[in-house]
Amino acid sequence: MLIGFDTLVFYTFAVITVLAGLSVITARNPVHAALFLVLAFCSAAGVWILLEAEFLAITLVLVYVGAVMVLFLFVVMMLDINIEKLREGFWRWFPFGGVLAAIMVGQMIWVLGSRQTSETGAQVLKHSASYSNTKELGRLIYVDYVYPFELAAVLLLVAIVAAIALTLRRRKSVKSQDPAKQVLVQKSDRIRIVSGVGKHGTE
Amino acid sequence: MMELLQYLENLLGSAWLPIWTLVKILVIVVPIMLTVAYLTLAERKVIGYMQVRIGPNRVGYFGLLQPLADGLKLLLKEIIIPSGSNKFLFVSAPILALTPALAAWAVVPFSDGMVLANLNAGLLYILAMTSLGVYGIIIAGWASNSKYAFLGSLRSAAQIVSYEIPMGFALVCVLMVSQSMNLGDIVLGQKSDVGLFGWYFIPLFPMFVVYFISGVAETNRSPFDMAEGESEIVAGFHVEYSGMAFALFFLAEYANMILIAILTAIMFLGGWLPPFDIAPFNLLPGIFWLLAKTSFILFLFLWFRATFPRYRYDQLMRLGWKVFIPLTLVWVVVIGAWMQTPYWLW
Amino acid sequence: MKIIVKFLKTFLLLELVKGMALTGRHFFARKITVQFPEEKTPQGFRFRGLHALRRYDNGEERCIGCKLCEAVCPALAINIETEERADGTRRTTRYDIDLVKCIFCGLCEESCPVDAIVETRILEYHGEKRSDLYYTKSMLLAVGEKHEKQISKDRASDSRYR
Repeated sequence: MLIGFDTLVFYTFAVITVLAGLSVITARNPVHAALFLVLAFCSAAGVWILLEAEFLAITLVLVYVGAVMVLFLFVVMMLDINIEKLREGFWRWFPFGGVLAAIMVGQMIWVLGSRQTSETGAQVLKHSASYSNTKELGRLIYVDYVYPFELAAVLLLVAIVAAIALTLRRRKSVKSQDPAKQVLVQKSDRIRIVSGVGKHGTE
Repeated sequence: MMELLQYLENLLGSAWLPIWTLVKILVIVVPIMLTVAYLTLAERKVIGYMQVRIGPNRVGYFGLLQPLADGLKLLLKEIIIPSGSNKFLFVSAPILALTPALAAWAVVPFSDGMVLANLNAGLLYILAMTSLGVYGIIIAGWASNSKYAFLGSLRSAAQIVSYEIPMGFALVCVLMVSQSMNLGDIVLGQKSDVGLFGWYFIPLFPMFVVYFISGVAETNRSPFDMAEGESEIVAGFHVEYSGMAFALFFLAEYANMILIAILTAIMFLGGWLPPFDIAPFNLLPGIFWLLAKTSFILFLFLWFRATFPRYRYDQLMRLGWKVFIPLTLVWVVVIGAWMQTPYWLW
Repeated sequence: MKIIVKFLKTFLLLELVKGMALTGRHFFARKITVQFPEEKTPQGFRFRGLHALRRYDNGEERCIGCKLCEAVCPALAINIETEERADGTRRTTRYDIDLVKCIFCGLCEESCPVDAIVETRILEYHGEKRSDLYYTKSMLLAVGEKHEKQISKDRASDSRYR
């Protein structure tokens, strides 16, 4: 065999990821673009599993594919996007975008090509089957870096509260139902037996 | 038997592992498909009995050949592709719905060690797979180019995304208690001298209920079947599907039901463990107990459908976001605190 | 206190359990299904099924072509043409009932002065085409001849109430 099974799997996933990524920006239909993004996420998760980062890989699928992209698709499907209008500004903004892209490529080459990262990347650690990536991550997050992690969590919480507070604006002119009140309604709240034959009115 | 396997292994060399795995996959998938077929019969029978009727009883004795007749009928019907639809996505949607429903079975342990892939992050894998099932529904609704299908798929997407959260939190409780994400270890963690009192449904009773109800919502089953809503949006996301394409959606829905049932049995009802570890009970093989528990939960699914009227959509969202999520969040904290006290017995 | 009780009732899913107990009881109840082709529910003598044209005992058609049934039919399902026969009596040359239109109200039977058009107890008839359900005079007479015994018995039972 010329190449190992791992390498074969890696290249398969890598090629799919890159092609899907390209399709995301070239697809004419925004729904197709979103679906290609899903494919890119899934194959990226495959690459991560090869790196023994199964927790991160599954979380990527769970959070991004299972939840975020669903909401994304949700929005994209509902929008009536005029593609022609979107394409109009392409050449006008091309120089700006091009510069931005060039900077990003430069940064990536700088980071990935530097001696330090390339050396550690040369020999990937292989662990035994009992190695749990999840446990390692948990130890890092909740023991070694607990304060930065908690800080990030609080930051996110603040963001969530802010986002919800922004939507907590009720227009007075609009009538709305409160399902919580509706489901709590009992028979006695709505019905009053005015007269009846028996003791309880219904016999 | 073992010698035969050994002989085959030597004969096939490196091709042995893929072939053997394929055989194991077939051994899991074929019974699931048969169970799905007979679950449809069981559903019609149970609901019929609860409505004081008999249910199908014409095809074969007691209607036992009915699922085969239904399958044959669907197989022979034409698959109509609507002219305004997106053909590729329209055809791939049923496949996308069924694949994750079957893929999740890879990590389900049927008995001690009887599992296709003994994954360490099995619980997460299950969560990821069940959350992928929504794509089949969304794509089906969008690709059909029909307003009812689209409405159904939007409802279903919102529903599945919101009920995944309480489901996830319920599972967080389970893995806190069991200290493991491996489904086999979760079952073994429920093993104790006191039989069924050692199972997790006792300390995690609210989570057990939440998980099961969220599971019903996640599989779009009645009373949370707004995605289908046959009385309002005709059949929801699969209104444009016919023949085998429709059958695949059907298979996916029922395979998901069985999956949720077996997961509930594994995580809360002690999996393959007998209720009492004494003579008449522990003589039966473990898989019998697992299947018995699964069947009971499947019966609950059908019982629900026969009993409850469909939820209204805003009530459904309220239940998910304003009742289940706070409840599960509180219970995570309660369990965390409880586990630190000496009164933790599990 | 009332609020606490309400809260507990909601959280213990009491009402849901009650509902499930009800359906659970019905699960074991005696089933009321009638296995149709083998078992049949009893029919009344006023049952309004397939139409028939009757004859007198001597073989003469009862229908005198008065067209009252045609006039009364709310669905306009009856179509009659008449002529004078050689013996001077008026008889129909054509008496068609379109069973696709018919709503089985029984008004034709009520209106008939000679009890010629009747509705029988037959309900298991079918047609593979729409035209199969267009009953002509000869078909209706054939139905009447075949089931005359039952028809006259039913009329006799009903006559007590008229």
